[in-house]
Amino acid sequence: MANSDQDINIVQLLKTDVNRAFRLLVEKYSSKLYWHIRRLVILHEDADDALQNTFISAWRNIRKFRSDSSLYTWLYAIATNEALTLINHRKRNAAVSLDDIGSILANSVEGSTWFDGDEAQIKLQNAILQLPDKQRIVFNLKYFDEMTYEDMSKVLNTSEGALKASFHHAVKKIEKMLGED
Amino acid sequence: MMGKMNDIKGNNPFRVPEKYFEEVNNKILSSTTGAENESMKKGLYFRLRPFLAVAASVAVLIIISYTATKLFRPVPYSTGILSEISLQEFTDSYLNEIDILTLEQNANPAVISGPVTGLSKLEIIDYLLLENIDENEIFELL
Repeated sequence: MANSDQDINIVQLLKTDVNRAFRLLVEKYSSKLYWHIRRLVILHEDADDALQNTFISAWRNIRKFRSDSSLYTWLYAIATNEALTLINHRKRNAAVSLDDIGSILANSVEGSTWFDGDEAQIKLQNAILQLPDKQRIVFNLKYFDEMTYEDMSKVLNTSEGALKASFHHAVKKIEKMLGED
Repeated sequence: MMGKMNDIKGNNPFRVPEKYFEEVNNKILSSTTGAENESMKKGLYFRLRPFLAVAASVAVLIIISYTATKLFRPVPYSTGILSEISLQEFTDSYLNEIDILTLEQNANPAVISGPVTGLSKLEIIDYLLLENIDENEIFELL
């Protein structure tokens, strides 16, 4: 992915019209970042909060953005941090297990309204929820977002080798869990 | 097994409310770029407010000073109405207004009632006769 032509244009526009550049950035990335966050936090209302916090944080720091960096990895890094902050907060205050999608959805007023998965999808989501947070993020970024290891290393500030190993272990665990059912 | 996972991957089980992305984009923009535009407008006003207050005070002081100067400054003679009247005009009009008797009363009575020097009795009699004064009266007076 790195820097697409559109991202280069947005970065150039930041120097002359930051409001318009930010509008283009929101329009391009809000959906992608929402789904990345949603797969980590599961609930729509949590994803909605984290997404808005992501862009507010991006707006506060947009003037410090270095033009030689990638908007794509920068935004994913912010979104991932916001999602992890929310997950950690929820873990501290949770009265129910957060390793099971049924418990998470049942613990929310509107949880089941915005989830429409069949049995296989629920199994996959439960398997992903069993992974440690870092491994879960690596798995989601590679499996759903199809992010390259190069970009992922910038998002998570981790070496590509470590990320490859992490993804490999995640897949093995999920395959095992799906195979057990 | 990865093939089975890929089959599941194709179907996103998560849902969002209708028009969610449109609405959330507007919400994000109004709380970022929109909020900054508003705060810039407000900020400009609040930053300029002390200067505006000082400017307004100075303007009020200038107006008050100018008005006071105009109202209370004494009118200079060079520009007053009297300068337009010549001394001759003033004297003539002034004298016309005063009763001639007042002048006679104010005049030195010694000049009138005292002996008239330089004129002989005969000259005075001639003058009085020319004025049709009765001879008897002239002789009584003289």
